[in-house]
Amino acid sequence: MSESPTGDDPRLPSLLQGLVGLGVIAIGIGLAVGALGIPSAAGYAGVGPNFLPWLVAIALMLCGGVMVHQARTGGFRHMEEGPPGEAPYWSGFIWMSAGLLLNAALITTIGFVFSCALCFVLAARGMRNAEGQSQAGLGVWLKDGITGLLIAAPVYWMFTQFLAINLPGLTQSGWL
Amino acid sequence: MMDIWNQLLQGFATAGTPVNLMWAFVGCAMGTAVGVLPGIGPATAVAMLLPITAKVDATASMIFFAGIYYGAMYGGSTTSILLNTPGETASMVTAMEGNKMAKSGRAGAALATAAIGSFVAGSIATVLVTLFAPVVAEFAVKLGPPEYFVLMLLAFTTVSAVLGQSTVRGLTALFVGLAIGLVGLDQITGQARYTGGVPELMDGIEIVLVAVGLFAVAEALHAVLFEGKVVESENSMSRVSMSRSDWRRSVPAWLRGAAIGAPFGCIPAGGTEIPTFLSYAAEKKLAKPEHRAEFGTTGAIEGVAGPEAANNATVTAALIPLLTLGIPVSNTTAILLGAFQNYGIQPGPQLFSSSAALVWALIASLYIGNVMLLVLNLPLVGLWVKLLKVPKPQLYAGILIFATVGAYGMRQSAFDLFLLYAIGVLGLVMRRFNFPTAPVVVGMILGPLAEAQLRNAISIGEGSAMVFLQRPMALTLLLVVVGVLVLPKLIKWMQHNKVSAA
Repeated sequence: MSESPTGDDPRLPSLLQGLVGLGVIAIGIGLAVGALGIPSAAGYAGVGPNFLPWLVAIALMLCGGVMVHQARTGGFRHMEEGPPGEAPYWSGFIWMSAGLLLNAALITTIGFVFSCALCFVLAARGMRNAEGQSQAGLGVWLKDGITGLLIAAPVYWMFTQFLAINLPGLTQSGWL
Repeated sequence: MMDIWNQLLQGFATAGTPVNLMWAFVGCAMGTAVGVLPGIGPATAVAMLLPITAKVDATASMIFFAGIYYGAMYGGSTTSILLNTPGETASMVTAMEGNKMAKSGRAGAALATAAIGSFVAGSIATVLVTLFAPVVAEFAVKLGPPEYFVLMLLAFTTVSAVLGQSTVRGLTALFVGLAIGLVGLDQITGQARYTGGVPELMDGIEIVLVAVGLFAVAEALHAVLFEGKVVESENSMSRVSMSRSDWRRSVPAWLRGAAIGAPFGCIPAGGTEIPTFLSYAAEKKLAKPEHRAEFGTTGAIEGVAGPEAANNATVTAALIPLLTLGIPVSNTTAILLGAFQNYGIQPGPQLFSSSAALVWALIASLYIGNVMLLVLNLPLVGLWVKLLKVPKPQLYAGILIFATVGAYGMRQSAFDLFLLYAIGVLGLVMRRFNFPTAPVVVGMILGPLAEAQLRNAISIGEGSAMVFLQRPMALTLLLVVVGVLVLPKLIKWMQHNKVSAA
């Protein structure tokens, strides 16, 4: 690549960038392994169903290779400035991830409204912690729970009653 | 000409029914709201609402989506003028001058010139769409698979390699998108690819999942990881009005902005970054000396008026390649294409004959929507500004609820919600390491179409790829692709040499 590293930008940890490059290579290899199992029967088309998979696999391996090279030689080129160099706040990430994954796991059993309200509470908690709000009293939990219900329930009604789109409920009534 | 006029009137008759006007209004209002709210943009909003395509008829939902698409552009400028954090790229340039104006107490004038400029440029571009889309469609009927494939190649190239800072990262994003598009049954042979035996994957991965995951979920995860301590400051509002001198300075800037923006929307080159920056540069250069000093200091009104007009003109004109060629060049148009596909409609040259009523109602609704948005955004701007006060925990947690509706509502499968989270994490990594997202969405939606065109093209060439070189139109387009790839590098290289020689 003819791009040159800009002289004075503060180097972001190039170890992580290298890992991203390796990840892209891994995706490429994964796609290539998958492509092995796709027949090449091209018929009149000249190119068969396995042509694009191979192209994408090889291209991703190449792109990943270039990224690893860039990471080893001064970092990715032309990076925008990230957010101020603070460490990522992993605990907030875990709260929010828990909200999303529990939502996925529970939505068919406890219904859309409660499952989404739970996701709301956990995600809001993560964000509050990230903002450094330590007054994590019962009141805040309760308030988030009610806000979550107040958003989820009308959304549920709008979709199930007004637009007739199926969302899972706790009961069969279509209201909860 | 008379023909176009009659069909447009027909379109107004369809779009003007109370039900469709209601959809347009709700779309415009919702679009403005998502435009104002940081964290979600038009692409996410349309994607989250794609499930309604299962129940609402095609005309109504396209009018609705167009309203969101348009409204978000108006709303986005409000945020970029009043908040000191740049939102979506389209309004980044507006933010530069708009913010400065707001800081020196002229927020109202900046908001007014942005809204009226959006209206003026949007209307001009809508007229262009009305006049030119049928002509382009007529021409496009003559294109065969080889030409189509090269046009799509052009879209891929510009969206991934030319826009954005890094070619490698742009291409990586594009190929990731193509890879996502590969999952499912092959269109031509019916061969299953990359389904890993999971039945949910046989139908492919839904656009909703990818768009909502990449934008909404990734945005929320990014906010919780990195933005907790970022304090946003809000500029104070002032009366939304423009003085006589504001008008005198804005009007030419709007017109120039529209003139710069519209052509960029027409070509499959994508993105509003280039036209808005060009318009900004033009305004700065053309400004009278006494006004030039305001650029970057107290904020020059031309610097808001021009780019904002250019932005809307580009976005509107981008409907021409979408409707006539079926080629989307941005996140939102890609998702609109997805919406058409949900109805079994493939945008392309035949659209104007096969779904004439729908297309003309859509175009008529653009005129109507523009007027609605002007009313929604000038007198009612105070209402929208209140949305900026929603605290971040509730904002992002709320976005996740809507993300769930969109992702789950499409196929009623909890598996999709796990997939949504995985795509969200992918989006987070991409965002953190500065990968563009538009190539993923465009690659995913256009990939299967391009693959089919490629295979049909080679069939026409009786198994030989030479077909791309033998047909003059395909060859010309191919040369354009090469030019688009090589020229920027060449210019950069020459500038570099000049600098090092000096």
